[in-house]
Amino acid sequence: MAPKRGRPSRQTKASTSQLAVDPEIVVKRTRRHLEELERSNYSEPSTAFTLAEDDGGEPSKSARGRARQTISDKRNYDSNGKKKKSTMNIRTALLYRKNLSTLIDESGIANLPSNAPSYLTAVTLPPREPPRLLCSVCGYWGRYKCKKCALPYCDLNCQSVHDETRCERRVV
Amino acid sequence: MKSLPTVVVDNGAATIKAGLTDGDSEPRLVANAVVRSRGDKTTYFGHEFERCRDYSSLHFRLPFEKGYLVDWDAQKAVWDGLFSAEVLSVNAPESSLLITEPYFNLPNVQDVYDQFVFEEYEFHSYYRCTPASLIPRGDMFTDPFLAPPECMLLVDAGFSFTHVVPILNGSIVWSAVKRIDVGGKLLTNHLKELTSFRQWNMMDETYIMNNVKESCCFISTNYNRDLETCRLDPKKNAIVQEYILPDFATNREGRIRRQDDIVSDGDQILFMNNERFVVPEIIFRPDDIGLQQVGLPATIAHSISLLPEDIQGLFWANIGLIGGSTKFPGFRERLAAELRSLAPVDCEVAIYQSQEPITECYRSALAFVQEPDFQEYCVTRAEYLESGSNACRRKFKDWKLVDEKGKGAAVREPAKPKPRTEDPEESDASPPPKRGGRGRTRTTSTSTRKR
Repeated sequence: MAPKRGRPSRQTKASTSQLAVDPEIVVKRTRRHLEELERSNYSEPSTAFTLAEDDGGEPSKSARGRARQTISDKRNYDSNGKKKKSTMNIRTALLYRKNLSTLIDESGIANLPSNAPSYLTAVTLPPREPPRLLCSVCGYWGRYKCKKCALPYCDLNCQSVHDETRCERRVV
Repeated sequence: MKSLPTVVVDNGAATIKAGLTDGDSEPRLVANAVVRSRGDKTTYFGHEFERCRDYSSLHFRLPFEKGYLVDWDAQKAVWDGLFSAEVLSVNAPESSLLITEPYFNLPNVQDVYDQFVFEEYEFHSYYRCTPASLIPRGDMFTDPFLAPPECMLLVDAGFSFTHVVPILNGSIVWSAVKRIDVGGKLLTNHLKELTSFRQWNMMDETYIMNNVKESCCFISTNYNRDLETCRLDPKKNAIVQEYILPDFATNREGRIRRQDDIVSDGDQILFMNNERFVVPEIIFRPDDIGLQQVGLPATIAHSISLLPEDIQGLFWANIGLIGGSTKFPGFRERLAAELRSLAPVDCEVAIYQSQEPITECYRSALAFVQEPDFQEYCVTRAEYLESGSNACRRKFKDWKLVDEKGKGAAVREPAKPKPRTEDPEESDASPPPKRGGRGRTRTTSTSTRKR
C-alpha cells in the first residue's frame, strides 16, 4: 500500500516544485552557451593558430618558447625590401596580446562613477517580462520543461530527442 | 593647409571598408581576419581572402574580440596588406588617415591606435572617431526640401554588437548610447548550432553558414503566425527554403533552391524552416537565448528616455539604420511596428534605412574628409611626437572617457557641450512630448538615395 501512494505523490512533487535543477546551474549553463556563441572557431582556441604548414615545416617548437613569433612580421609588402625597426610600443602590442577582460581591468573604467558613460554602463536594460520558452529541439513553443536539466521542449517527440541527445551533455 | 590625399578606413570587426579620396567612391571591402584554409593549405591575410577557393573548414583569427581590437598582430597583418600596393598603395608619410573605432573604445586601446598610426605607419596626420559620428556628414537623412535634422538616432547593428546612438547637433550624446550584445557573429554561430543539432554538422563551417544566414534569414513581422506555419509541414510550407550547400568537388557556390532546380543525389540540401526567422529574432528578443537584455525596440525607447524631454520627439522621427545586420528583410517593418507601440501617441516615428548599410559610414567619412576644414580635426605626426597620445586625447572630439574629478595625467578639454541633462531617470514618465519632425508630414518612408 505504501509504495503505491508514494509514487504518485513523488510525481506531483516533481511537477509542482517544477524543477529539480539548481537555478544557478541553469544560469551558469546559459552563460557558457553565450560565451560559445562569441567564438570565432569551433575547434581549438584561436590562439593556437600556427603557420607551421606554409612555413615549409619551420621548427615551430623553438618558436613557441621565449622568442615569440608574430604573423605580421612574415609579410613584407615593401617593394624596396628595407625593413624598419618598430618602436617599443608597437613591439609590445604585437607580442603581448591581452584579452578584452584584461584590457577592461587595466583601463580602470570600473572605478568610474556609475553615471559616467563607458563600456560597462552602456549595456541596455534587463528584460522586464519572463522569457518566452522555445523548444530546445525544434524551435516551436516549449510548453514543457525537462525535469533533469530544465530545457524546454514542445511534445513527446521532441522530448525523446532531447532525452537522447542534449539532456546529459548539457546539465553537468 | 594644403590638401593631402586621405585614406578612409572604416575598421569593422568583420569587414574593413577602405578607400582613398582620389580613388573610387565605392570602398574596397576587405575581410578583417587572417584565414587559414585547410583545403588550399594556405593562410590568407585580409584582402588575400578573395583568392580563397576552398571555403570548407576555414579557421579564422579575428583582430577583434567582442567588438574591441585586442589582437594587434593580426590587425597589423591585415593593415599591412591593405596599405600595400596590392590594395590601396598608401604613401603614409604624405597621407592623412581617417579611421573608425568602436563605441566606448577603452582609453588604453585608443593609445595603441595612436601608436600604430604614427609610430608604425607614420601617417602625416589622422582622425579617429566612431562610425555613427560620421553619419551627420553624409546624406543619409538628406531630404531635398529640408535642412539635415539636428537630432537623429542611429541603430548600428554590426558584427559584434548593436548600438543605439543618439546624435544631437552633430555630436553623439554618450550618456544615452546603449548597447545590445547581439551582432552578426552571434547570429551566425547560433544558426550554426541549430543546423548542426537538427540537420548537418556545420559547426566548423562559419563561412558557409554566414552565407546561408545572409541569403535565407529574415525578421518575422508576425512571430506566432510564422512559427505555426513552420510547424504544419516541416518540408513544405510557405516559409521553408531548401539551401543547396556548396559542392567543393565541382566548385559550385551554395544557393537557395528554386522551383525548377533539379537536384542530384550528391547534393546536400539544408532545410531552412523556422531557422529563417528564429535566428535574427534574437536582435529583438535577446532573452530567447537567455541573454538578459531587452531587445532593440525597448533599447531605443530607453535611449530616447535619457535625452532632454522637449526634443525627444525629434529623435523618434529621425531613426536611421546602419550596419550589416540591418539588412535582414523585414527589419524596418518590424522595428517600425514595435516602436509605434512604444512611442508616445502624438509622436511621429520615422525610420530611414540606408540602401547600403554596410558602406554608409564609409561614404559619410569620404564626404567629411573632402570638407576643406578636415585637417583642423586631425592630429599631426609632429603634434604626436611632441606630446604623445595626449595630443589625440586633447583634440579628438568624439569618444573619450569623461574624467569627472579632473584627475589623471591627461589634459582634457572641458566636456563637450551636452544637452541639458536633467535627471535622466525622471524623463521616463514622459508627459506628451512635442510633435516630432518640425511638422513634417512624411511617415515611415525609406530614404531614397541617389547614387
